[in-house]
Amino acid sequence: MSILINRNTKVLVQGITGNIGTTQTKLMLKEGTKIVAGVTPGKGGERVENIPVFDTVEEAVNNFSSIDVSVLFVPATVAKDSVLEAVNSGIKLIVLITEHIPVHDVMEMKAYVFQKKVLLIGPTTPGIITPGECKIGILPANMFCSGSVGIISRSGTLAYEVAANLCKIGIGQSTVVGMGADMVAGTNLVDILKLFNQDKETKVVVLVGEVGGTQEEDAAKFISAKMSKPVVAYIAGASVPPGKRMGHAGAIIERGEGSAKSKVEALSVAGVKVANRIYEIPSLVKDLIS
Amino acid sequence: MRLHEYEAREIFSKYGINIQQGGLAKTAQEALQIATDIGVPVVLKSQVLVGGRGKAGGIKIIDNLNEVERAADEILKSEIKGYKPEGVLVLKKIEIKKEIYLGITIERTSGIPIIMLCSEGGVDIEEVAHRNPEKIFKLSVDPLQNLYSFQIINLVKKIGLTGKTLIGVVNAVFKLYQVFKEYDGLIAEINPLVITENHEIFCVDAVLEVDDSALFRHPELNKRKLNNMSERDKRLMEKGATFVKLDGNIGLICSGAGLAMATMDLIKDYPPLSPANFLETGGGITSELMFDCMELVLEQPGLKALLINIYGGINPIHEGAKGIAKIIREKKVNIPIVAKALGNRQEETWKTLEEAGVYVIKESETQKAVKFLSELLGVKK
Repeated sequence: MSILINRNTKVLVQGITGNIGTTQTKLMLKEGTKIVAGVTPGKGGERVENIPVFDTVEEAVNNFSSIDVSVLFVPATVAKDSVLEAVNSGIKLIVLITEHIPVHDVMEMKAYVFQKKVLLIGPTTPGIITPGECKIGILPANMFCSGSVGIISRSGTLAYEVAANLCKIGIGQSTVVGMGADMVAGTNLVDILKLFNQDKETKVVVLVGEVGGTQEEDAAKFISAKMSKPVVAYIAGASVPPGKRMGHAGAIIERGEGSAKSKVEALSVAGVKVANRIYEIPSLVKDLIS
Repeated sequence: MRLHEYEAREIFSKYGINIQQGGLAKTAQEALQIATDIGVPVVLKSQVLVGGRGKAGGIKIIDNLNEVERAADEILKSEIKGYKPEGVLVLKKIEIKKEIYLGITIERTSGIPIIMLCSEGGVDIEEVAHRNPEKIFKLSVDPLQNLYSFQIINLVKKIGLTGKTLIGVVNAVFKLYQVFKEYDGLIAEINPLVITENHEIFCVDAVLEVDDSALFRHPELNKRKLNNMSERDKRLMEKGATFVKLDGNIGLICSGAGLAMATMDLIKDYPPLSPANFLETGGGITSELMFDCMELVLEQPGLKALLINIYGGINPIHEGAKGIAKIIREKKVNIPIVAKALGNRQEETWKTLEEAGVYVIKESETQKAVKFLSELLGVKK
């Protein structure tokens, strides 16, 4: 079992004919991901790795009765357009890899997918992997192995490191979800925690957070009220000096939340085992699993 | 991208927000000319991109025209928190009856713009927000809808305004939100928004921070930003790399901000080692980008070693390795370089790096790389 994706998940790639789209399509196919179609406006009728390319998402959806997920490797300037297109074509899970999308566009996407009950992972996400079954995004597959630990990470490359270090001591992952590192994320930590909480195969959840925003504080509230599985957490950036800031609005809105200290405190109070350093995670997980 | 006050107030003014008479002076003579035109008393304000300039002597009120030149000269020559002013803003002083705080920013978790208003504006607003959070009134804006006047009227009434000043402040809020939205603002702030004895409303300080990722929609700002950058910095920005100067002795290059922060946390466990910088490559590594990153990091004085920590997911690290090897070949690099590089095509990457004389860590634990580096430098935990 796993969350969000498995060996039967049917995937569409938006931006499949670009350099990154094509390279990453090959890597996903190698991991057994069932990519059924691609979209690039103007390239309809072409093929990439023998996968048919369409001009629009609607055409792709009409040709394949069920597409579960769309993964996007499109330029930041058209990302909002492409996400809205996927939503309007009825796709229920969207994985947005693209970096450097204007935050005002992300706010519109987030509000829109919420209205349409679609899950948007990203932007700036490495994607999702259920090791051995399906990989959607850019995660290097050799860092992961199959097992019963769920990982949620705001940082892509830290998710790779945590998974690899768990594999080293023989602990695999049910599903690993990169939340995306932008100021505003399509989906928050709490939404994915809920899914892991319901997943029978996931025994322990590792949450990798970082300074900024209040997602970890919200996650702490959810864990303390609803979570029935043990959670291990690490917050990156305890030693990072606060950035020079101008304008008071940011400080007023966060009211002391957002620092590593605030997150670690909130999570500890909620009963989460918090690692002070990234390398402490494997032994904390091992204690909880055995 | 943070705009200077003089730039932000011009934009606010273009949208119909009332600003004081005056302008930017680059020299003391220009300051005197402006003061002569608008008449004393004037306020002189240092144009630096840091907060707290008033308390640091960067704002002066001058009643006598004879004193303008000397005071302006002093401001132009004074650095504030290490920043040299870009000029001095010379403004007609106005009579203040009441100061209001008005700010718009993004609530990150919900991803929604928030308008904030407080009847106690001025330099101590963060203190007020901390002590009496109930005095800050907020309005969330649905990103998919327009902002309507009735919403703003309801907000502004909460700080007790009526009649002409109510409508004046409502207009200011409406216009500031327009600026925030159309300029892809991260923060748009007027503190204080001043009400005069004549019930006039003035924007007396202007803050606008524009989303760097949206600069493609604002060519004039993009051009301004590029004008102030070196060719190398332009290339780094184009590829999405982020560099922040710190004050330690270990140069750092990481793929990913989270990984960079976690690595910094580990380096700090080995005093006196500490990160000299934060450098996040983003997901666009090429041989050239890595060359530029190395050059930038190696320029820092007092480095004891360089640590590279990169993953090949979207990043072709085998290409990045070529850039690292190239700079080692071309420039005399006389500090040890330790690299941990894993992911797609890691074997090729290791080979290129080892041939260039880099110490390669082939394991997934960053602390092993940091420990190796500390031992190389003879530092114990």
